[in-house]
Amino acid sequence: MDVESLLPRVIKPARYTDGEWNAVHKDAAGVRARFALVYPDSYELGMSHLGLHILYHILNSHPDFLAERAFAPWPDMERQLRDRGIPLTSLESQSPLREFDAVGITLPYELTYTNILNVLDLAGIPLRSADRGPEDPLVIGGGPGAVNPEPMADFFDAILVGEGEDAILEIAEAVVLRDREAALARLAEISGVYVPAQYHASFDGPGPRGSVAPRNGAPAQIVRRFISDLDEAPFPTRQIVPFVDTVYSRVTLEIMRGCARGCRFCQAGTAYRPRRERSVETLLRQAEEAVAATGYDEISLLAFTSVDHRDIESLVSELVERFGSRGVGVALPSLRADAFSVALANKIQQVRKSGLTFAPEAATPRLRRAIRKQLTEDDLFAAADAAFSSGWTRLKLYFMIGLPTEREEDVEAIGDLVQRLVAFGRGVLGSRAGRLRIGVSVTSFVPKPHTPFQWMGQEDRDSLAHKQRLLQRSLRGRAIKLSWADPDVSALEAAISRGDRRVGRAIERAWGLGAVFDAWGEHFDFVQWQQAFRDADLQLEDYANSHLDFSDALPWGHIACSLDNDALREEAERALSQGEA
Amino acid sequence: MAQIICRYRKGEQVRWISHLDLKRTLERAMRRAQLPLLLSQGHNPHPKLSLGPPLPLGATGDAELLAVHLTEALDPEEVKERLNEQLPPSLEIVEAWRLPRHKKKETFGQIDVAQYRVSVQGEVDPGEVRGRVEALLASEELVVHRGGERPERTVDVRPFVLSLAAAGAKEWGLELDMRLRTGSHGGVRPQEVVALLGLDGGDRRIIYHRIGLYAGAQAAPRKRALRRWTRSRGPTQGRE
Ligand code: SF4
Repeated sequence: MDVESLLPRVIKPARYTDGEWNAVHKDAAGVRARFALVYPDSYELGMSHLGLHILYHILNSHPDFLAERAFAPWPDMERQLRDRGIPLTSLESQSPLREFDAVGITLPYELTYTNILNVLDLAGIPLRSADRGPEDPLVIGGGPGAVNPEPMADFFDAILVGEGEDAILEIAEAVVLRDREAALARLAEISGVYVPAQYHASFDGPGPRGSVAPRNGAPAQIVRRFISDLDEAPFPTRQIVPFVDTVYSRVTLEIMRGCARGCRFCQAGTAYRPRRERSVETLLRQAEEAVAATGYDEISLLAFTSVDHRDIESLVSELVERFGSRGVGVALPSLRADAFSVALANKIQQVRKSGLTFAPEAATPRLRRAIRKQLTEDDLFAAADAAFSSGWTRLKLYFMIGLPTEREEDVEAIGDLVQRLVAFGRGVLGSRAGRLRIGVSVTSFVPKPHTPFQWMGQEDRDSLAHKQRLLQRSLRGRAIKLSWADPDVSALEAAISRGDRRVGRAIERAWGLGAVFDAWGEHFDFVQWQQAFRDADLQLEDYANSHLDFSDALPWGHIACSLDNDALREEAERALSQGEA
Repeated sequence: MAQIICRYRKGEQVRWISHLDLKRTLERAMRRAQLPLLLSQGHNPHPKLSLGPPLPLGATGDAELLAVHLTEALDPEEVKERLNEQLPPSLEIVEAWRLPRHKKKETFGQIDVAQYRVSVQGEVDPGEVRGRVEALLASEELVVHRGGERPERTVDVRPFVLSLAAAGAKEWGLELDMRLRTGSHGGVRPQEVVALLGLDGGDRRIIYHRIGLYAGAQAAPRKRALRRWTRSRGPTQGRE
């Protein structure tokens, strides 16, 4: 029995076949180390993750290494695999993951962690690093979640903190050593690589208080890796073209990495500093190559805030000019709420108006100052004015509730602001007012390590639910479409995000109780998760909701990101005083 | 301006690709091949590509058809070669020809019969299957329940089974050959025929392969002669 024979029995079987254009098939005999790169979610989400394409490209471009892909099988496929005792395999050569020298797994974010355990289990690899033997592959993690590796520390042999472009080949050289102990020793010497077994975690009471100390000579601090020059960094222009439609079924060009805006809740902001840009010249070359190599009809510009790129105007004009006549469009997904952004969006979508997205996050100037969101109401209305008068009828707005120093009036102000925007929009649109649609997406604040708000507890779920009800009442109307994140999901995110090593036990227990694909509403079971924390002698609420003292030792204190605790604390204190004003 | 018709093969490695995804795959290959595609007007221009009747998911076929509009009258052989260089493994243009000038549009809509070769691998008793084939052909009515359709309904598919035969027993099982009505005037799917024969289920491996597309079943009874859709005899060829 092989995977092929299971395909008639599962939904979306093309998730499990390969042969996509630009997929790489290398002969295992010719290389010194084989990597399986795993994205712990569906094929479609994994293939939309640029980091995976980058590492796949770097490893496969090197004559000594080979990389293949694997994804978390959907529960229907998982059942088929388990029923027949078929181990999880890579896409390209259909080899069991267990047979690779290293399995590299992305840590995208908290709700994928049970999938990681599930993938290891389906591959027949012991879950815990301590239980693995000489025959098992090295299990190496990396990605956005690595800035607090503790909740997953017991399950990984090594975790890279920071960006992988430079580090991946150093890691590959360590994997070549084959001997497990020797490879781990070498890995621990690589800057940015954390080998959890060489550290001891201690805890100061309930919740995220405690520290991690090195054993026998390992470095006390793991310093995040980042590449200094984005323009010089390898970038895959021969991107794999999935057969099935994914979010990014288009050329993705990373125009900029990092963000200097410094919003105080934002982990991506501190984890990917400094802001680095690719030059227009490089980007145009990459665009030409990628369009030729993929045949996509759209180029999407990737950045946290693409309009912050120094040369964004000339880049967009050049791209539109060069590719427009060939039927290749340009997409700019990350805009700021200001008139400049709208003018730019106008340039690329001469007539087709899909929708514009702005993120004011908070509705009062005081609260926006406290979270350091540099946006005024004038900006927002100017952006809306520009958008409506150039033909857009749909806007989407992102807000957060439960932000530190938030008061009930801030929540009420969201409804008020949106209603004023609706009235304003109707006025500008005139006879087309009936088409106005304002999407309002409300998420709950989740405290994240390495941000100024890392010490602040999340508001408890009841009070968040109360605020949601307030909003529901004030956001009625034909033109308004309200959506929000489930407070239970946000609570779990907060608990794992600020988790320590003990939280790993809760994750393992939740997986044991059946949790997988927690990010998918239909699979998420909060009661199960609370149970899992209790079974691990922990309280989810301790991690999610407790306010920490600035003097508390933090479980992620051994990871050095861009800002140290003194700098973060200064920002936090400023936030509190601005919030009180 | 020219319209090129291609007969292509959808093979083993791409048989799980849905019709819509396949269309996108072909469009991308055409862009990579830098064919002079005629783009539709409007704000979201896209190439004018049409495909013949979809294959069931999981089936292979070598009678598959596509038609694409080009801005230049390229040699069909050149189109075939350039495209084949850009197609993923087991997707292949077998032949290409130009739509005669007097035809405005491909006429895939006329296709109303599909011929399948179905291999049934695993435990089967050829004698018994032949018996069931005879019984099926002898029956007046074959009722199939289509639960997946909205509204759910039951259909008599007997008129849609034009021919059915169990070809010689092989070591690994046996092969069925069937000609089935398809298209907007009603039809039957090969999986339904296999189910009617009681061959689905179990650990048998069933592989569907489409070997021919025809038009003409819908014609008046006296003129009913099936025309096979290929370059030499396809209705798209016309009288030149
Ligand atoms: S929220 Fe956006 S703008 Fe603010 S720091 Fe993060 S990435 Fe930058």
